[in-house]
Amino acid sequence: MKRDDRSFRVALVADQYVNPQPGGVDAVAAAAQAGWGVIQLPADDYPAAVARRLLFEVAEQAEEFARHGYDLVLVGRRNGLASALGRVGIGLPDRITPESFVALVEFLSGRPSPEALRMAGPAAG
Amino acid sequence: MGVAFVAHCVLNQNSKVGDGAICAGVYSPIIDVLREKGWRIEQMPCPELAFAGLNRFWAVREQYDTAAYRRHCARLATAVADVVALRVERGEDVVLIGVEGSPSMGVTITSSDPQRGGRPEWPDGTPEHVSGEGIFVEELRRELSNRGIGFPKVVGQTNAIPGHDEAAQRAAVESALSGIDG
Repeated sequence: MKRDDRSFRVALVADQYVNPQPGGVDAVAAAAQAGWGVIQLPADDYPAAVARRLLFEVAEQAEEFARHGYDLVLVGRRNGLASALGRVGIGLPDRITPESFVALVEFLSGRPSPEALRMAGPAAG
Repeated sequence: MGVAFVAHCVLNQNSKVGDGAICAGVYSPIIDVLREKGWRIEQMPCPELAFAGLNRFWAVREQYDTAAYRRHCARLATAVADVVALRVERGEDVVLIGVEGSPSMGVTITSSDPQRGGRPEWPDGTPEHVSGEGIFVEELRRELSNRGIGFPKVVGQTNAIPGHDEAAQRAAVESALSGIDG
C-alpha cells in the first residue's frame, strides 16, 4: 500500500480546545498547522452515560492507531479517559495542557518521529 | 448555537483508507467555514476504522453491508444520537457533515456495485458512485427516528467525487448552515 499524505500523528483533544471560548487555545488550528489529526473528547458537561459511550469509541479508535505505531498525545484532560484506554490495554499518552497556541504547536512539532512513519517510508510523489 | 456533527476524517485524515488521506490531519476547508460561522464541532467516530482497521482499502456498500458491520454502526449511532438529542433538547440547530462517495459516511452519494469483490478502482474508476446514504448514516437515521428526532440537514465533503471543486464544496457547506445562526 503506497503512502498517502497522512502524518501518523493523532492528538486526543479535550472539547474545550476543539471548541474554545473566545481567547482560548484552538487545538484544531494548532493541529492543522503542525500536521496532526484530532480525536475529540466528550464535552465535560455531558451526562456520564453519554460520555462513557463516547469514550468507549475514542478508546477503540485510539487502540487501532496505537497498535500500528502512530504517535498519540493528549491535549487537556477528560475524566474517564484513562479507564476507557485502560480497557483496551493502552495507557494515557504524553500530555499537554497548553497555555498558548504557540506552546501547543511547539509541543506537537517537537514530538519524535512515529514508529508508523518510519515503517511507511518516504511519501509518494 | 449551531452544532455540526462532522465525519471523523474531517478532523483526522489518519483514519482514512490506505492511500486515501489528502492531507496530514485536519481537513481545513470545512473546519474553516464552521469557525467563520461560529458553529460548534462534534466529531463522529469513524465507523470503518475500528471495524476494518487502518490497513483497509476502499470498498463499496455491498462489501461492508454485513450484519456485524450494521451492529457496529448501530452502536456508534447510539452514541452519536445521544449527543444529537442533547443538542436538540437545548434548542440548538444541528447539521451533519458526511463524506460523499463513502460506503459508510455518504450523505447523498455513496458507493455501490453488487458485483464488486476485489479492490475497487479508485480514485480513477468511479462507476460505483450512486445516490444514497452510507451504512452508518442509515443507522443514525434509524436511531434518531426511533427517538422521534428529525434527521438534520446534511452536506458532504466531496474531495473523493470526480470533479471535486473546493469552492463549490465551501458554498454547499455555507448553504447548509445558512439561515441558522452559529
